[in-house]
Amino acid sequence: MRGRTALIIGLTVLVAVVIQTTLFGRLRIVTPDVVMLIGILLALTKVRPELVLGVAFISGLVMDLLGASLIGMRAVVYTTVAYIAVRTKERAELGRVTVAVWAGVLTLVGIAMLLLVGTLFGQAGLVGDDAASVMILVPLGNLAVAALLAPPFVRLVDRDRTALRYP
Amino acid sequence: MLTSKRSDRALPTFISLLVVGVLLMTFDVRLEGGGVVGVLRSGTQAIAAPLQRLASFVVTPVANALDSLSNVASLREQNAELSAQLAESVAQLVAVQDQLAKLDLLEQIYDLETDEEALGRTIANVIGAVDAALIIDKGTRDGVLAGQPVIDTNGYVVGTVKSASSGSASILPIVASRSGLTVLIGSQTGTLVSRAFSSDLGLEMDFDAFDAREPVLAGDRVLTSAASTDYPAGLPVGEVLADASPESTSLTTTVRPFVDPEALRFVVVLAWPPDPITAATDDTLPETTTTTVDGDETSTTTTLPEEDG
Repeated sequence: MRGRTALIIGLTVLVAVVIQTTLFGRLRIVTPDVVMLIGILLALTKVRPELVLGVAFISGLVMDLLGASLIGMRAVVYTTVAYIAVRTKERAELGRVTVAVWAGVLTLVGIAMLLLVGTLFGQAGLVGDDAASVMILVPLGNLAVAALLAPPFVRLVDRDRTALRYP
Repeated sequence: MLTSKRSDRALPTFISLLVVGVLLMTFDVRLEGGGVVGVLRSGTQAIAAPLQRLASFVVTPVANALDSLSNVASLREQNAELSAQLAESVAQLVAVQDQLAKLDLLEQIYDLETDEEALGRTIANVIGAVDAALIIDKGTRDGVLAGQPVIDTNGYVVGTVKSASSGSASILPIVASRSGLTVLIGSQTGTLVSRAFSSDLGLEMDFDAFDAREPVLAGDRVLTSAASTDYPAGLPVGEVLADASPESTSLTTTVRPFVDPEALRFVVVLAWPPDPITAATDDTLPETTTTTVDGDETSTTTTLPEEDG
């Protein structure tokens, strides 16, 4: 990973964390998890898979440190989601809609894992008081954001204007 | 081909990161949020706080506008309800002002001095939220310390400061806290426990009293108890949702807190106890102060009670 790519990824994660903890932390209706989405979309780039996992882990850790949850919980979940994304990205690269649905499904997996790991470690209240709506709204939010931002994000990180261009 | 070769190192990396993550969780559980973990939290908050504050200036109007749009349907009902509450509150205020005037008069007549000390209060903006925790724009620089109680602008209990950096702090609301809160309903002391860690998630909390003597009724106010180590006594917490009678000596009922943390925009952090050293001394050996007036001379003597045994 070159310096400029690292800088772009770092800045993107920083912006995502700030937006997630301010704007999306305050809204009740529009609630994507953009930090998790960064880890998912990075799998579509040419960045090495182990670095994608590292970025997902660190961004999850930052969210843990800023919040009230156990340190390492989101880091583990985001890393797992990023790993599944790395392993399944070939199935997503068919079109804009496929990428969005793929990101939405992976987010659903991530939220389910957060609930599961949270319950195991006594943090069942982590995702809020209405787990069912969170499990629907967050993946839908990420699906919408991925549909809009996945192609420009991949082009920005890879510096390749032809990336994720579909006929 | 290139992808499959590159993925070869993904699995060991993934497993290593999982192990590190689980170890971090274990450390956090064992250290109970203190030690290195507390330092890490404070450090991260200190770095993120300026950016969050900056972002908050921009996103707060957007968030408020979107929240208003989502609530527009129920706005009329809320207005009617709030108008009724306001009328009731104004009536209560007049009654309280009348009682205060009488109290002042009696204090003047009997030449009493009140020893009430106003608690230091820090008003803070809620600039963000992560999970159940709220992030505020005041920190240790403003006198906000971990463990201090937090109320809303109406005086209702919100929670406690979980961690604080120089310019920001995170608040853990009572509805998301693992530790119970010692409260008072009428004359009965009990523990209020969050449901965030049970299968029945929601804003409601469970009240348990183990030496119950009388029933509690729906609408009874729940106040913080003097036995609480986290809050000053007498702060309103919520109200009882359902009538309950003691079974043998135990009593369980549901309480709805007055505060919905997600709707908060401002909070007040109380500097409590006002002086931890004095409070600690008071807890162990309460002092007795005697003032003697002998002609023009006044002498004050402070004595410690004799220890038992």
